[in-house]
Amino acid sequence: MGNPIDSAIRIGRRYWFVDGFTEMLAGGLFVMLGGVLLLRGMAPQGSFLAQFASIASDIGLIKVFGLLAAGLILWWLKDRFTYPRTGFVREKRVTVVQILTFLRNAILCLLLPVLALVAAFFFLPSMRAFLFSMPVWSPVAMSTIWAVLCILSGHWLGLRRFVLLGVLILLAGTGISAWQLAAGLPPIPVEALQSSPLAALPEALRAPLAEILNRAFVSIGWLTLVSGAIFAISGMVTFLRYRMENPVPYKEEA
Amino acid sequence: MSEAYHNLSDLDRVIHEPSRLLLVALLSSVESADFLFLLKESRLTKGNLTVHLSRLEEASYIQVEKTIRGKFPHTEYQLTQLGRLAFDQYRKNLGRIFDEKKGKGEGEKP
Repeated sequence: MGNPIDSAIRIGRRYWFVDGFTEMLAGGLFVMLGGVLLLRGMAPQGSFLAQFASIASDIGLIKVFGLLAAGLILWWLKDRFTYPRTGFVREKRVTVVQILTFLRNAILCLLLPVLALVAAFFFLPSMRAFLFSMPVWSPVAMSTIWAVLCILSGHWLGLRRFVLLGVLILLAGTGISAWQLAAGLPPIPVEALQSSPLAALPEALRAPLAEILNRAFVSIGWLTLVSGAIFAISGMVTFLRYRMENPVPYKEEA
Repeated sequence: MSEAYHNLSDLDRVIHEPSRLLLVALLSSVESADFLFLLKESRLTKGNLTVHLSRLEEASYIQVEKTIRGKFPHTEYQLTQLGRLAFDQYRKNLGRIFDEKKGKGEGEKP
């Protein structure tokens, strides 16, 4: 991957992933998020609003407390295990402006597709057949985005295993999509695909829409869970290799 | 003397030495790193590493911060702004030399 100078530059960038702890903890968080999506998708819900609210609150809690806990655990593990063996590296400082820019872009990237889907559902009846097949295409679409992110990160960090992780996540997404396709989709009332009056929509579509949404949550939940497991396993393998290569903390020669 | 040879003599001799080039490249992508990290990644002996780091410090390309972590002394090395600029310039100069040589090499083909 590149010339020797670029390779040396990447060593510093990827040091965060040298021991596998980051992948294990990130994988654990993904497994928890996937578990929540699966449970909420399978459990009967009173209304769409209640379902969305419960998922949003659970995911928000896991992200805030999970990230905080993961950060503390990571700091503790690296301080006791990694730094005494292969040294300490302080990653480049991230400015508040950079964090805010990243958050703005991430929120826009998440919100815009969701808003576009909701708008298409209400105002473009011809698009509804496609939207109703969301449980089938959403895992493969999401896994493609994750795979691209993994592969790009792998290239930037000089970590070949991230390319493999991306491919595995894409395979998992394709598998889940195939499973949903094989399971078949609920029949959609013809009038729901042709008419566009907002008032008549909930009655005609309530039951199939509920099933579609639940199955979409289940699909995405499985994808998140499997992706988390892939990351955690990769982290464990990396950790075992790291421990084998650096069995004891570095000691001064006598 | 052609332009390529002039470019060769423009290369920063402090950074051009392979071990120091590796150390500067390692430090370029991080805020700072400690002695152990540089020792493990460069695979130099402690004596050699100390000499090369001192040479970089003399040129003001790195700055050293000595602290105490727990009961042990801890030394961190950080690339200075001057060091970053010198490294960027070195890479540009090196790239220019290879681009020029490549261009000439292609031109010489029958």
